[in-house]
Amino acid sequence: MRRCYRRAIIAVLAGALVFTAAPWATRAATQTDAVHPAARVVTDEVGRRVVLPPEIKRVVTLAPNLTETLYALGLGDRLAGDTNECDKPAAAKTKPHVGEPQNPSLEAITALHPDLVLATTSINRIETAVALERLGIPVYTSDPHTVRDMLDSTARLAKLLGAGPQIEEIVPRLHERLAAVRARLADEPVVHVLFVVWEDPLITIGQHTFPADELLWAGAESVVLSKQNWPQLSLEEVVRLQPEYIVFAGHGSENAATELADLRARAIWKDLRAVQMGHVVDIGEEAVRPSPGLVDAVEHLALALHPDAFPDKSDTEKSKPE
Amino acid sequence: MRPLTSRRVLWICAVLCAVLLLAVVIALRMGAYSIAVGDIVMTLVNGALGRRERIPSEFWLVVFGLRLPRIALGILVGAALSTAGAGFQALLRNPLADPYVLGVSSGAALGAILSLIAAPHTPGAIQATAFAGALATIAAVYFLGRRGGQIDSATLLLAGIVTASFLSAVIMFLMTTLSGRDLRGMAFWLMGDLASPPAVDLRWLYFLLIVGVGSMYTTASDLNLILTGEQEARHLGVNVSRVKLVVYVAASVLTGLAVSVSGAIGYVGLLVPHLMRMIFGSDYRLLIPASAIGGAILIVIADTLARTVVAPTELPVGAMTALAGAPVFIYLMRRRVR
Repeated sequence: MRRCYRRAIIAVLAGALVFTAAPWATRAATQTDAVHPAARVVTDEVGRRVVLPPEIKRVVTLAPNLTETLYALGLGDRLAGDTNECDKPAAAKTKPHVGEPQNPSLEAITALHPDLVLATTSINRIETAVALERLGIPVYTSDPHTVRDMLDSTARLAKLLGAGPQIEEIVPRLHERLAAVRARLADEPVVHVLFVVWEDPLITIGQHTFPADELLWAGAESVVLSKQNWPQLSLEEVVRLQPEYIVFAGHGSENAATELADLRARAIWKDLRAVQMGHVVDIGEEAVRPSPGLVDAVEHLALALHPDAFPDKSDTEKSKPE
Repeated sequence: MRPLTSRRVLWICAVLCAVLLLAVVIALRMGAYSIAVGDIVMTLVNGALGRRERIPSEFWLVVFGLRLPRIALGILVGAALSTAGAGFQALLRNPLADPYVLGVSSGAALGAILSLIAAPHTPGAIQATAFAGALATIAAVYFLGRRGGQIDSATLLLAGIVTASFLSAVIMFLMTTLSGRDLRGMAFWLMGDLASPPAVDLRWLYFLLIVGVGSMYTTASDLNLILTGEQEARHLGVNVSRVKLVVYVAASVLTGLAVSVSGAIGYVGLLVPHLMRMIFGSDYRLLIPASAIGGAILIVIADTLARTVVAPTELPVGAMTALAGAPVFIYLMRRRVR
């Protein structure tokens, strides 16, 4: 009797095995798609081989910074879809969304028929790129770690997408703007700042992050030296470090005045020297997004932290000490 | 309750399989990319006959590239977790036992996090190390949970819970101190995620599933006797320590298998065995296969919901298993109380 049960169950399970195995057997045999004769083969920034179609007309971006980069290159019309997080520029919000950057819907991406999918190591997962490649959709992954890396990466993307000479001049222009900021700040002392990524819990930046590099370009330096990328900080440590300026990022409001009023109403914070002197800067979320918008953020920061170096512009400066 | 005959077991399993097939068809139909039922049937028929040239390439991608592998993975994970849950509930004589109670998922999570630290960009590494972590935890808990050279349910439960808490603490420590590392995959892993197909051939995983469920099934009659009392079972000639060892190893390996390919998907292993007990009674000869198929049904439905409710955003399937399973569970429980 018992043996009878066992046999029956094993038969059912074996049947299930055969049933599910069938599609894979055929799939494995048809995996080797012939490479199109006019296709280009490039290596992306994480060393993966990418086979590109001769012409790239439809691009899906999997991160807000890539969407911004595409628009900055003036190639917004080639954007077939982006993520729920892509909110800049405003036109990006109207494109079809494919889900969250960390967990996009592979189906939604497939349905957009992209010629190329752009991903980045700072927010996307390797699993997504691997899964898309298995489906025969080319994925180019960017991996910038500094402001210069970002510009190099942007230049590579411009070339990859076959943008004309007019568009390839955009990146050299950005380099010039950075050089101009650096020239202005040549004789300025380095300002020590606390860069606040998140307020509660208090999260700041490590040495190897974009904002850290951005601060260097803007003639400043983080008071926190950490090898962790996004270290959590105790308020006690902030009191001990006494930063000259406090920089907030990613609040969207870009309104230093309300931020300052808020801090002045809070215990401990209100007694910090930087808060008492009104040395509070609020830069937008682009400061932590590796796109050409970083150059704007560098200019904005340089102006806010070194108003004396920009006598011609200091009337528009937002966080003027009282 | 009517006496359990092999015929009844087969009939119930056949009905459950039919429900599973229905769930699979619905899951194949639903998604961000809309395909008509007729086109799905056409794609499946042509695909099964090896006539790929007759299928539009988009349909091929969506059906064979995306949906079927994901459904197959869901069936695997659901069956493994539910069978493991039924096994642990008997072994530990505790209705609250689920596949993760003895720390297998924590061990697998630790393995996963170590692979993300050592080799963050290697596809497949996370599953391999997670499985290794699960196996190491199974061995550690086994040696800690023995009493007089045999598995003792109470000691095993305590050893498992302590090991699980210890490993969770290590994971929290690592995640806090290594916040700069690329631990993004970890969040998905801890919530449970069917979106990334494993690098391993699914057929190997199904082979392990069949071995696990099959070996658990060989103990079904003995488990029924043990549940009436260990002393009585011994008098009736059941080798209690051997049965416990088989159930422990089979349930743990099944859990490790599921966890390493999909992360820790919650509730399935707890809900489904109880659901099946309420519907079909607690005879393990029926409960084990019914739980396996029931778990597969629940995961396929839950994952379809997770993919489609707020498409294109994908929700964690673990949240969906509770959302889909809990109301049914409460209904059946209240009906029985009345």
